[in-house]
Amino acid sequence: MNLATPRNDRPPYPDQGEAAFKDWLRRLVTGTEELRAFDAGEIDAVMDHASESALMLPEARSAQLGTSNIALSALDALPGEVCVIDQDGTVILANKAWRAFVAQPGAGLRVREGGNFLVACRNAPESECAHAEGLAVSLRQVLSGAKAALRRQYAYRDIEGSHACTLTIAALPGKGAVHAVVTRERTGKRNPPIPRGLVRSGRSRMATVAPTSISNHLLVALLPAQYARLTKGAETVALNYGDVLYEPGEQMHHVYFPDNSLVSLLTLVEGHRALEVGLVGREGMIGARLAFGASTSSVRALVQGTGTALKIKSTHFLREFHRNPNLQRVLLHFMDGLMIQVSQTAACNRFHIVESRLARWLLMTAERMASGSFHLTQAFLADMLGVRRVGVTTAASALQRRKLIRYRRGDITILDQHGLEAASCSCYQYVRVMGLTTTQ
Amino acid sequence: MATKRKPKSRARVGTTTVVTMRLYVAGRAPNSVKAIANLEAICSQYLQDGYKLEIVDVCEHPRRALDDGVLVTPSLTKLSPTPGANVIGNLSDTSSVLAALGLSPALSA
Repeated sequence: MNLATPRNDRPPYPDQGEAAFKDWLRRLVTGTEELRAFDAGEIDAVMDHASESALMLPEARSAQLGTSNIALSALDALPGEVCVIDQDGTVILANKAWRAFVAQPGAGLRVREGGNFLVACRNAPESECAHAEGLAVSLRQVLSGAKAALRRQYAYRDIEGSHACTLTIAALPGKGAVHAVVTRERTGKRNPPIPRGLVRSGRSRMATVAPTSISNHLLVALLPAQYARLTKGAETVALNYGDVLYEPGEQMHHVYFPDNSLVSLLTLVEGHRALEVGLVGREGMIGARLAFGASTSSVRALVQGTGTALKIKSTHFLREFHRNPNLQRVLLHFMDGLMIQVSQTAACNRFHIVESRLARWLLMTAERMASGSFHLTQAFLADMLGVRRVGVTTAASALQRRKLIRYRRGDITILDQHGLEAASCSCYQYVRVMGLTTTQ
Repeated sequence: MATKRKPKSRARVGTTTVVTMRLYVAGRAPNSVKAIANLEAICSQYLQDGYKLEIVDVCEHPRRALDDGVLVTPSLTKLSPTPGANVIGNLSDTSSVLAALGLSPALSA
């Protein structure tokens, strides 16, 4: 790399003081736009015709030298793949092994220097999105300073088969923003046998993903034999933010048991925007209306939290429901809780202020997703709460000012759970107490 | 470093014209890293498949920058379609980058 210093006959030199050197560099710059960018601190180097080289500005030079000598050599010497991420998720530094990894085409979050890790997680292919979402949550936790270090498993598939790796994310606290170092260790190439019954549906737009340990409360309550019978022929699918599982009046061909995904039940009134009336996560299921003899959906079921769910054919579910008293019991219990939630939401939408409703809604979402960080746009929140976007902005700003949440470009982090509970309306506690709680 | 980055393979409707750009950066200096990240984000959102981007490191290839009339880095040059345009700085102002590339924010929808 040719990092030139000015020729000796052209004073002042860098060692005569950064300010003088910078002032001299500025005099080399012509053009309004160039001068604006220079004065705004957006310039790294100025081209010098006399020395036919790029003259680095002092701050760019020190940043470059600070990362290029010992630190970079040490990183390069490591056998594993390592990169450093700034507070926005941009990869600002990577070692040789990481650069070699991302140079190869393929899956598995190959984020180059200058690329954004969080954006890559958001744009991960469907088959990886469950892992990518979890990884993004961990990254945000570390970058926000909430966690010092986290480890995540990441599995992906390419033409050579399935691969698994462990990503360790460790905070690098500095004077200002927190950076993170990500280390990628391969835990081997694996080709797991396809579990019985887990087959990809040709018509499904949702990818079949590897089964994970079940956390859905309805399924957990079943006996092993009952669970095996119900899930025979089922597939674990990735539900993505914005997917619509049913529209009102649509035949429910499948039911869904969310694992770490979250689904909103929206009611549509002519001439108005959709309004959320219920929220279902791992404590329940989507399509329970089938059990009461209906075949069509009465609401729009919209995925608002990306994750996985177990997808079962409606006919098979109904057959099992009629022969399995245990499933009947847990389903009725869930439906009772959902009724409480829906009726309380109706009253809440009518009587409570937006700020309290937003606090309630964030708590319910966090509880069902088992995470204090999630991504939601203002337009989406406005739909969920049945208010205009400006109402959401005001309410979110108020909660942020009270340091209860952090809201930045759609990324929401709950900073103070107890404070947010105090700020929420009584409906949150009422619904919890009356039965529909995911902690049961 | 004079690397050519290929656009993502995701097929998206919208743009049919390929925008050819060249970004001059100074190694891994902070503004240069930001400029690459900002430009890639803009390209993936607004241009999808319809762009070609060449990144030239002026520390490695100062002659190229001088021959092309580049005075400071980071500096983005739109080569085609005409008219050409330049944007100076770390490209954090999305609207000015879009204006230089002849794009309107409405295209993102």
